[in-house]
Amino acid sequence: MWLVRPATPADLEPILEIAGTQGARLSSTLPKQQEALANKIRHSLDSFAGKTNDEEPPRFLFVLENTETGEILGTAGIDARAGNGQPFYNYRRDALIHASHELGVSRRVEVLYPSHGLTDQSLLCSFAIKPELRTTDAFELLSRARLLFIAEHREWFSNRMVVEIQGVQEEDGSVPFWDSLGRHFFNMDFQTADQYSGTLSKTFIAELMPPNPIYVTLLSPKAQEALGQAHKLTVPNLELLQREGFQAGCYLDIFDAGPVLEARTDSLRTLVTSDRKELHASHEDAGETCLIAAGEGEDFRCTLTPVAVTLGGKVQVPVRTWQLLNKSAGDTVRVAPL
Amino acid sequence: MLVIRPLQENDLDDLYTMALNAGKGLTTLPADRELLQRKIDHARETFNQRCAPEAGLYLFALEDIDTGKAVGISGIQARVGLDEVFYNYRLSLTVNASKELGVHVRTPTLQLSNDMTDTSEICSLLLSNDYQGGGNGLLLSRCRFMYLDEFRKHFSEKVFAEMRGVSDRNGQSPLWDALGAKFFDMEFSEADKLSGLGNKSFIAELMPKYPIYVPMLPDSARAVIGRVHENTVPALKMLQAEGFNFNGLVDIFDGGPVVEAFVHNIRTIRESVNRYALVTSKSMDLEAPPAERVMVSNRSFRDFRVTTMPAKYIGPETVRMPPEVAEALQVQSGDSVRLAPLKEGGFWPIHSHRAGDNVDEASENRIKKYRSHSSWD
Repeated sequence: MWLVRPATPADLEPILEIAGTQGARLSSTLPKQQEALANKIRHSLDSFAGKTNDEEPPRFLFVLENTETGEILGTAGIDARAGNGQPFYNYRRDALIHASHELGVSRRVEVLYPSHGLTDQSLLCSFAIKPELRTTDAFELLSRARLLFIAEHREWFSNRMVVEIQGVQEEDGSVPFWDSLGRHFFNMDFQTADQYSGTLSKTFIAELMPPNPIYVTLLSPKAQEALGQAHKLTVPNLELLQREGFQAGCYLDIFDAGPVLEARTDSLRTLVTSDRKELHASHEDAGETCLIAAGEGEDFRCTLTPVAVTLGGKVQVPVRTWQLLNKSAGDTVRVAPL
Repeated sequence: MLVIRPLQENDLDDLYTMALNAGKGLTTLPADRELLQRKIDHARETFNQRCAPEAGLYLFALEDIDTGKAVGISGIQARVGLDEVFYNYRLSLTVNASKELGVHVRTPTLQLSNDMTDTSEICSLLLSNDYQGGGNGLLLSRCRFMYLDEFRKHFSEKVFAEMRGVSDRNGQSPLWDALGAKFFDMEFSEADKLSGLGNKSFIAELMPKYPIYVPMLPDSARAVIGRVHENTVPALKMLQAEGFNFNGLVDIFDGGPVVEAFVHNIRTIRESVNRYALVTSKSMDLEAPPAERVMVSNRSFRDFRVTTMPAKYIGPETVRMPPEVAEALQVQSGDSVRLAPLKEGGFWPIHSHRAGDNVDEASENRIKKYRSHSSWD
């Protein structure tokens, strides 16, 4: 069975392997360096245990495990405060009207403003899954398990959620938006900059980012086309998040101009449709497959299970599911339809 | 003989012909009769002191006395940026550095600025093709410094000139195509014309206000920022010889440089001296190459006149001139005139005091004497 649970130091090697296969863009939230990743896992465990402070806000890292083989198949994360105590950088795409009465000319001029507006909102991040699972229910389990975690620990998270979606990248690895803009200021290729943004403090972004707004019309045509466009590979993820209620607003990633999706936390479908139920036994695999989550903090577990709902807010699930969740009859679980 | 004089009512036809022949790129003198007439009117009011000093537009014509035609024009605008906002880009530098990464990136930017506001501009220089050469261009340009010097209180301490930037034979400007056109939706020549007609508010309304990062512009545009049109190279060299320097500002349309100098540092002004006119009926040879000629001006605000003559007639206190020169200058014997070399490094029989020169006692005394003369009138 597939199980989502907090990452532990023992997961280090398999996570590194997954991070290594995911291309450049993920590295900003899922480091490829052993030490950086070990730190991240340690911080995540502290976060699950509720042992963090304001300087280093909680960052949670989950893994998807095949419970039969013990294999780690994917990762997903939540940063409780985007920017993690430092500014969270985006471009805000906005427009100015340049109009001349005298000439009878009116023109819409698009501008990218450097913005920290999304700082401290909760961020879904570090999503990576083995390619063979992309079309299975495990994909949805891994992504939405985070939302069940948020539902269970609502007070740890802000009222608004954001997700950065990877932007357009060419076959050869070049990123049109980066080449037209960031490259001039950072004097490094996209991969290097992206990696730094994961491993180093974000001050280097502040130091190197152009401080003034950027006129869209001065970007290369390819870069203009890439604004707010998602990478082909991220389409399933994008669609899943859109079904949850995330929408692209006016914010863009500063490196690749990928869209930043936004949502009100309490309006997310998983939070609206999930319910707390009392756990009871079922002796057969009857009922619809649902997401089921239980456990506080470091004990959080989430999996897929057939669920038969009985009257009075009780659910009947197979006993093997109990074991995965470390729960027994009468305990409270959270259930959401797939 | 050629003489500089204030622009007059009857110069309109000659001006129009000159403007027509000049083609695109001369924003201060478009081929538009109505506009040219307005300029003439403005200049007339200025010389007659019927407009506020800061609104003055001093336009001079180069007249061929033999034909009575105006064959060149040059001007000084007393102050820019008062009626209309005056725009330039400041070529600036932003450094982004990260010690952590060992990165140090310099990014040139173009920042919209109004820095030249309230400064005097030398402008509108145009000389008919038939009269190019022989130092006529020098006279047409440098006569303005003689005027600036005489009437300093009407002008700012610093003067500047906008040099025409790079454009190709079809009037296409690489900077305009890469930058202006993205915001204006019109051809360079069209925008240039509008700007010349004085409709400058459209610039403020349509122009990008935030700094432009130069590396984001194509190579062709970057290459012309601060560069002059090939036809303008001689004019730039002439101004550089006068002590003008690029001040970091460029034209917002074509990227041509702005050069500036403090009035008291301008070479023509530093080297100029006063003498008394001595009109002589003896026949005089007025022919001499430009390097051996001097500009000689009367000292009239309303009817300023400048012509050139050989330097060899300058004496310790007087300058000899034949009646036709005196007439062109509208001076008589005993009137004070001002003299300056026409060409830098040319023959100049005066040892005026210049910084860095070794001044012996004799010449020191001579200078004092000349100074007392110039304060005498």
